[in-house]
Amino acid sequence: MSHEPVLAFEDIVKKFGTFRALDKVSATLKAGEILGLVGPNGSGKTTLINVISGLYNPDAGKILFQGLDITRWPMHKRARVGINRTFQIPKPFKSLSITENVALAYHYGSKPAMNPRQALDFVGLSHAASQLALQLNSTQQKLLDLARALAAGPKILLIDELAAGLNHQELKVIADHVQLLAQQGIALIVVEHHLGFVNQLTNRVIVMNAGKEIFQGSLDQAAQDPVVSAVYLGTGS
Amino acid sequence: MFAYSLISGILFGIFFGFMALGLNLIFGVMEMVNLAHGDFVVLGGYVGITALNSWHINPLVSLIFALLLFFVVGLGLFFPLVPRLSHSRDPEMLSLILFFGLSQVLEALMEIKFGVNPESLPLSVFGNSSWHFLGQSYQISWVVSALISLLMILLTYVFLYYTPMGRAVRAVMGNREEARATGLPVKRTSAIIFAIGIALAAMSGVLSPLMIGSIDPTSGLGLTTIAFAIVVIGSLGNPLGSVLGGLVYGISLMLMQTYLSSWSVLVPYLLLLIIVLVRPSGLLGKGVRHV
Repeated sequence: MSHEPVLAFEDIVKKFGTFRALDKVSATLKAGEILGLVGPNGSGKTTLINVISGLYNPDAGKILFQGLDITRWPMHKRARVGINRTFQIPKPFKSLSITENVALAYHYGSKPAMNPRQALDFVGLSHAASQLALQLNSTQQKLLDLARALAAGPKILLIDELAAGLNHQELKVIADHVQLLAQQGIALIVVEHHLGFVNQLTNRVIVMNAGKEIFQGSLDQAAQDPVVSAVYLGTGS
Repeated sequence: MFAYSLISGILFGIFFGFMALGLNLIFGVMEMVNLAHGDFVVLGGYVGITALNSWHINPLVSLIFALLLFFVVGLGLFFPLVPRLSHSRDPEMLSLILFFGLSQVLEALMEIKFGVNPESLPLSVFGNSSWHFLGQSYQISWVVSALISLLMILLTYVFLYYTPMGRAVRAVMGNREEARATGLPVKRTSAIIFAIGIALAAMSGVLSPLMIGSIDPTSGLGLTTIAFAIVVIGSLGNPLGSVLGGLVYGISLMLMQTYLSSWSVLVPYLLLLIIVLVRPSGLLGKGVRHV
């Protein structure tokens, strides 16, 4: 596995009016690495995912993918080279079948990639392949969203709050699956409220608050950090 | 009389469903209402009339010409206009203003070029025979226009449901954000659908003098109203809804013309009011679409 970062973002700033949703956030990510992105509501986690995936353009800063500056690339172009994502609230193409949803991603995504059948097998949705996506419940829609991202051949996979609504058993299965993806060389950024889930995946996290990165390191160290404690527990300095 | 009204209502309904199809495709993909839709229908009508009167070209040939010409016109209009709208703060409201302005410009240009007098195609342009069915006779031009409309609706259906490009179009109709995240070229898909929508409007326009009697440069507004009523009845954003909406409109119009003729001009407005009050998402809709 290469030691060069597959993704680097430097001093990312994103403003909505006068509100700074992201304030000089930086990090690098190597192939096969999992980075947890944690923090309270409104801390900028999803905004960062949105900027990396191209949904939002940053107001300042730079994003490098395999050394290439992609800061101004449109979202679909990033998806095609292997920067793929899931959504906190997935909105699958409801008038298309589950297979068609995933097949579109396979058609337009980068290669090599899991084919639609493999992607649906991976998330456990093959039994429903011919159903229309509108027939899925919210948990299944999240799994379909993940299958769609996998069929696009991700080199970087941005996962936005996949654990919400899953039970303990489902969390364990998903955590194993995510680790399997990392072992295959996919770099992952996992936005999560559920710290137990993050702990199952990785020990490397960025803790965010009010658009700023307040901690970067291991989850164990984060638990001991007074600034992180203050944000989470309202104590400390 | 009832059978005649019903059958002719179905023939007209298929035509009007086809006429509204482009408006619905454009709304489905871009969530923008093309208020100049009717003007492109009228322009298509002038293509058919001019081709016949000046060069003796049969409207069947003009249909192909209108398809190609207005596909290019649609692409030519899309790139300078629509992406700018998409980046604005309120693209849907701005699109109403922009397309209304475009409608006024097209109307003025048609007045300059073709004058204000109504023009038409001879009803015998597809032959002098009639179609006899259940003891009634129907204009052959109506039947041919309905058959061409049906063929174009079927081709649009095949395109949407059985081609990779059609799947991409339905994905963009479903969710633009998710489509971009899936790697779909949303802007290019939108451009192609915009051009197809304009081209379909112009094709239906070639047939329109045969179905609505005559056209003049001011006919566009009324045709846009009818098309809008049809897509709202069927379901905004659902192309199949145009067909159902067209049938409801066509049959209602013919029944009204038969039994209460002086009130028939109110049909699109009455249907629009009823559907908005009773089922705002349209007959095939699953949720209210916002314009």
